[in-house]
Amino acid sequence: MTTALTQRTLLAACITTIGAFAAAAPAIAQEKYPSRPIEFVVPWGPGGGADQLARKIAPGLEKALGVSLPVINVAGATGQTGLTKMLSAASDGYSISVFIADTLALQMEASTKWKLTDMTPAAIMIQQPSAFFVAENSPLKSWKDVEAEAKKRPLKVGVTGFGSADDLHVIYFNGKGLKLQSVPFPKPAERYTSVLGGHADLMYEQLGDVKSFLDGKQMRPVLIFADKRFPAFKDVPTGKELGHGIIINQFRAVVMKAGTDAARVKAVSDALAKVAGTDDYKTWLNDQFADANSFVPAAKAAAFMKGELDAMRKYAPKK
Amino acid sequence: MDHNSLTLLAHGFAQVMMPVNLLFLVVGIVLGLLVAVLPGLTLVMGVVLALPFTYSMAVTPAIILLTAMYVSGTYAGAWTSILFRVPGEPIDVPLLWDGYPMARKGEAAKALGWTLLAAFFGGMVAATTMVLLAQPVAKIALTFSSPEYFAIIFFGLASVVSLGGGTLANALISLFAGILLATVGVDDTYGAHRFTFGVPILADGIDYLVVMVGAYGLGEVFMRMEQGFQSPQLARTGDIRTRLPRLTEALAMKATFIRGALAGIVIGIVPGAGATVASFLSYGIEAQYGKRRHKMGTGIPEGIVAPQVAATASVGGALIPLVTMGIPGSGATAIILGAFLLHGLQPGPQVFQTSSHIIYALFASVFVGIIVMCAIGYFATKYMVKVLDLPEVIVSAYVVMCCLLGAFAARNNLTDVWMMVIFGIIGYLFERFRFPITPMVLGVILGPLAEANFMTTMISFENDWTVLFTRPVASAIMAIAIITLIYPLFRYLRHQGKGRR
Repeated sequence: MTTALTQRTLLAACITTIGAFAAAAPAIAQEKYPSRPIEFVVPWGPGGGADQLARKIAPGLEKALGVSLPVINVAGATGQTGLTKMLSAASDGYSISVFIADTLALQMEASTKWKLTDMTPAAIMIQQPSAFFVAENSPLKSWKDVEAEAKKRPLKVGVTGFGSADDLHVIYFNGKGLKLQSVPFPKPAERYTSVLGGHADLMYEQLGDVKSFLDGKQMRPVLIFADKRFPAFKDVPTGKELGHGIIINQFRAVVMKAGTDAARVKAVSDALAKVAGTDDYKTWLNDQFADANSFVPAAKAAAFMKGELDAMRKYAPKK
Repeated sequence: MDHNSLTLLAHGFAQVMMPVNLLFLVVGIVLGLLVAVLPGLTLVMGVVLALPFTYSMAVTPAIILLTAMYVSGTYAGAWTSILFRVPGEPIDVPLLWDGYPMARKGEAAKALGWTLLAAFFGGMVAATTMVLLAQPVAKIALTFSSPEYFAIIFFGLASVVSLGGGTLANALISLFAGILLATVGVDDTYGAHRFTFGVPILADGIDYLVVMVGAYGLGEVFMRMEQGFQSPQLARTGDIRTRLPRLTEALAMKATFIRGALAGIVIGIVPGAGATVASFLSYGIEAQYGKRRHKMGTGIPEGIVAPQVAATASVGGALIPLVTMGIPGSGATAIILGAFLLHGLQPGPQVFQTSSHIIYALFASVFVGIIVMCAIGYFATKYMVKVLDLPEVIVSAYVVMCCLLGAFAARNNLTDVWMMVIFGIIGYLFERFRFPITPMVLGVILGPLAEANFMTTMISFENDWTVLFTRPVASAIMAIAIITLIYPLFRYLRHQGKGRR
């Protein structure tokens, strides 16, 4: 008798519990976002450009979203290790990641395990134009000198590696009749040394990454790949004005997993917009020699990334 | 040194001595010691892990913390190398060639004393050079390029082959096996998969850590297991009163100290190589030109001092191009550069002028760091040698645990642990059949560096390998390396000739 009663009570309890859960389910979906810390994955090691961006914007995001954003560095495989970590989390908006052009460039190879459609960009945060640099004391004073010399003898260009955006620029100019030879230096220190020490004639890099060498009058740009001239380097021509349409910017974006609720993407995107609008952030962009209009909101970011990938594909060597 | 920089340096010391900064300095030193002792955690990885903690700190303590870690990280790995034959860092591989035999002879405390003195001397000389001559010597960094990097590494490979113990042929076989192992994985230059057999973990290559820890640490344990953990009783450590070498002993080896310090500073300044290459190269130089070169590898202090002086001296060297030009001279300085950048400072000639107080605080922290490190080392040595009084079987159990942890920590991958065990067995078999293991470990560590620099040289000079012999610095180093390689052969032939007569 007692047993039966207990059983019935238990059954009732179970039903009630299940019922309660069922009723609560929609409530979870409607839950205020964010209500707990958001993991901010940086798919590169500490100290690099991707890491600096995350550390720069995290405090502002924390303020705007009202939760903390622990930054986690997961380096490896040109940013794919960290990306995979973010993509393998639930699409609930509690894991976001930095995503940069170098990782996007991997899409040119068919073998990547992820697709652009696996992610939803929340915003493009920074776009840095690149340039060809020479050492300050180089006999090559201008791009004209470089062109003239590169028709006579092969010039060495320090790049990060074969198949990188750096290399694509070299390949492009080889197609225009110049003799340029990419020499891969994966470590920035060795790449900078190559041009400063006269071991390479030219170097390809983002302007912001060599700021100290530019300020210190150790190297200077001879051709900048941007839409218009930089106020700081108003004597340096852009590729565009010389008829070279190739522009592959280094961009860094914040992305979320595809399938995340649109309202949540908007919440993050709005917070990013707020950070990007601050004077502090604008000063930082200026210091990094970045495009003042770097910010691209969520609505246009996916199309932007696709456009960048198309530009890379356009200039990649045909196989 | 002009009056102005002297004032700045004094100001730097004052900053380091501020309680908060001094606290972070001590924390940095202790962290560096820990990182160096753990075989799976390399110095560079340790500094990378510490970097995010410095973001919220002010720039000066952040730089002090990381610099302190870097200084002490080149030192403590010697302890495990000497006591257990487990190199805590790749830097410490050359240290065990003489350090471990010395410890087995019952002179562990003395061996530890030599490393302490070597680290102190190397660190101080390099730090002084850094302060006095930073601007002029920084130019060395720019004169070296891939052919010179290759030549340095080639010399490192060549010089140690001649002392592999046993025959040159065996040493070369072992070396090439190591270089071949190092080629496993995705090639850095063209991205080709080599010997990966479609296995993802192999695509990332065979970590040198796995080979180093397995072949030395685990291999040694297997060796002892065979003897039933009853190797001949060591001299009681209690009998040894002197820990630090006497001044006369040290003075007798002044050439070794000076050579090592110079090699360390120069290798430190050059961006293509860090403490590891410095340590190998310095041992090689000692084995080639030292007074007691024929006894190297048998447990003489020169074999401990040469690599340790160079390793610690490379710290000061690597910081020179960082502060003067913004070019990091090594892996760890690249991370310190990151710390500067995150605080909105790009080191270079500008920062040297405008934010000189930070640069001089960094300089001062190297000096104070070395002193704190040596003080900790001095007191730790006393207790560490007691470990050798423990039953061998217990020590061995700890060594095995350390090896397993180290192999796992490197990439958080269990496959690495199995690979480490396999290399432990290989190391044991090599040892058992008196086949030298050292050249193989050397090949695994230096092979990838040699390859990358050779490829860059080839690409850079239109596949013309003769540049290695036409560029002045490269050709000089290559010539020395080749003499090193042929000398044993020459001696052998002369010996044969005499025998016939």
